[in-house]
Amino acid sequence: MEKERKPKNIFVQGSISPETIAKSIANHSTKTDIGGHSIFLGQVRADEKPEGKVLAIDYSAYEEMALEKAFEIREAIFAKYPLTCMHIYHSLGEVKVGELCLFVFTSSKHRKAAMDACDELVERIKAELPVWGKEILDTDNHVWKVNV
Amino acid sequence: MPNTIHIKAFGMVAEKIGTTELVMDHYQDSEALLDALLVKFPALKTIKFSLAINKKLISNKQEIPENAEIALLPPFSGG
Repeated sequence: MEKERKPKNIFVQGSISPETIAKSIANHSTKTDIGGHSIFLGQVRADEKPEGKVLAIDYSAYEEMALEKAFEIREAIFAKYPLTCMHIYHSLGEVKVGELCLFVFTSSKHRKAAMDACDELVERIKAELPVWGKEILDTDNHVWKVNV
Repeated sequence: MPNTIHIKAFGMVAEKIGTTELVMDHYQDSEALLDALLVKFPALKTIKFSLAINKKLISNKQEIPENAEIALLPPFSGG
């Protein structure tokens, strides 16, 4: 199966719909050398902060740099694991609590590569992509999300 | 064309300085620029941020090329 080697957009405006994810899974049914998929879905959590309760996260990014970095990470993960496919989607703009903001999808012949690659991708995306989450609170306030 | 630096600000940094884009005179290196920024925007002293030159994160003092694009990046919090 061919590996995708060109920089591509990972950003979607607003939340990532469950239908998008279902469709993405279905798209792999023709790739019959795949034996395992691994999927990570990030969901916006209704955190209780001292300043108020989180209603949504408003995501912004330094898009050009983020896409360059995402491409670099993607190449590194493809080089490290025997993957068939890799897909990354990250939200921009407002995503309400309970909605999905990150979709990472890896596929390989055998499960281990897909699972390990997915895990490493999520960690690197959170640590290395210039993306910021502004947590909108029920008190008309906001706080800037901190990744732990 | 005068030699300038284009600066983009993101997240909490943009909030602190009240703009997402500004143009400044050219500074020789990242340390000189940082000093100038802290004088211009004292509020930046209270937060943590990194510099990127032409979309590359820098960790040490670095030369600034002519007409560079600089970005002021608070700690990342994607995902």
